Amino acid sequence: MGELIYLIILIALGYFVGTRVERRHYRLIEERERNLLHLPAVCGKDFLEDRAISESRLVYGSVVVSTDYFKLILAGLRNLLGGEISAYESILDRGRRESVLRMKEKAVGADIILNLRIETSRITEMGSMEVFAYGTAVYYNR
Amino acid sequence: MKYTAREIKGNDNISASSPVKDFFELIFKILGILLAVYIGLGFLVDYLAPRISSSLELKLGRAFSKKFDEKPLSKEEKELQRILENLLKHADSLPKFDYKVNIEESKQVNAFVLPGGRIVVLNALLKKVGSENEIAMVLGHELGHFAYRDHLRGLGRNLIALLISSFLFGSDSSISQAVSNSITNAEMRFSQSRERAADIYGLELLNKAYGNVSGATDFFEKMGAEEKAGWFFYIFASHPYPKSRVAALKEAIKTKRYSIAQKIPWPGSGE
Repeated sequence: MGELIYLIILIALGYFVGTRVERRHYRLIEERERNLLHLPAVCGKDFLEDRAISESRLVYGSVVVSTDYFKLILAGLRNLLGGEISAYESILDRGRRESVLRMKEKAVGADIILNLRIETSRITEMGSMEVFAYGTAVYYNR
Repeated sequence: MKYTAREIKGNDNISASSPVKDFFELIFKILGILLAVYIGLGFLVDYLAPRISSSLELKLGRAFSKKFDEKPLSKEEKELQRILENLLKHADSLPKFDYKVNIEESKQVNAFVLPGGRIVVLNALLKKVGSENEIAMVLGHELGHFAYRDHLRGLGRNLIALLISSFLFGSDSSISQAVSNSITNAEMRFSQSRERAADIYGLELLNKAYGNVSGATDFFEKMGAEEKAGWFFYIFASHPYPKSRVAALKEAIKTKRYSIAQKIPWPGSGE
């Protein structure tokens, strides 16, 4: 019985704290995305304007995201029956957007980031992973 | 090519479904499946129990034997074994087992049977016994469960676990013994009608072995006197209400015209 109560407390804590953190993170992500709209990041390489280039270099951003206990249990339950693990979608979405933002924040003064790639790798057994975004920042002559 | 960045509106990468709803939906689904399996196993036990052969039962019984056969028999156990063997001489329609009786420590006042011919009497029950006839009635009742093959069904869902582990790992393996240990500590459950049938079997055996039925109702009368809960708590209980058992036994004694004589004292009672 004690173990069950302990489990319920962990799940509830995971849910309430996790939801709060997530909401705040999304607010920050959206605000920073708006502020960095002047610096586009694209997957292709054919987006160059017909201007002289002063500099181009590798830029990258990385973030390590972890799940909360509520999501962990929810995904565990889902594993039993199969289907979409929607609980993890928001963490990975946050991870991708945050890593792109960090990459953009590294490319101060750049005009465009070409060849954007996003990669993920698992770093612990349960529920943490790294999301890594990298690309080529291009600076035109002013 | 000119690229113009636009603000992202909405988020297609995240499902609209609420995670809390998802969570409870999954919990209920999984609990539902487990419940269905549990109920299904119950039916499977009822199907399998009468179909298990005596030789397979002996094999299953081996999972329990190590626990009991390691210790030397106590004085009380030898005394119980003597009473049991006396009963066995007069018993019929029993499966051919090497019947044994053991005593186990417990605060519960109860006795139960295990596959392969073993009767376990809990020491709290022995403390209440006043005469040899009384304990003979208890042993006769348990033999009744063997005669009617209630004991395999009485193992309930544990029977499935025991069968599986015996087939996979052998009945002497530590895994089967761990399964059997969990069973001996659990309470055996039979339906009330099985208990009543075993009561009558015990009564008839008592009469054959001793020539009278003295002490047949003693144990249940003691249980009834101690029972604080009313009869209505027994509607769903596994054992019949003690007072109604006494009444049923007295009725049987009357119709069968069994005689009452001097009781044989039980050495363990200290009376």
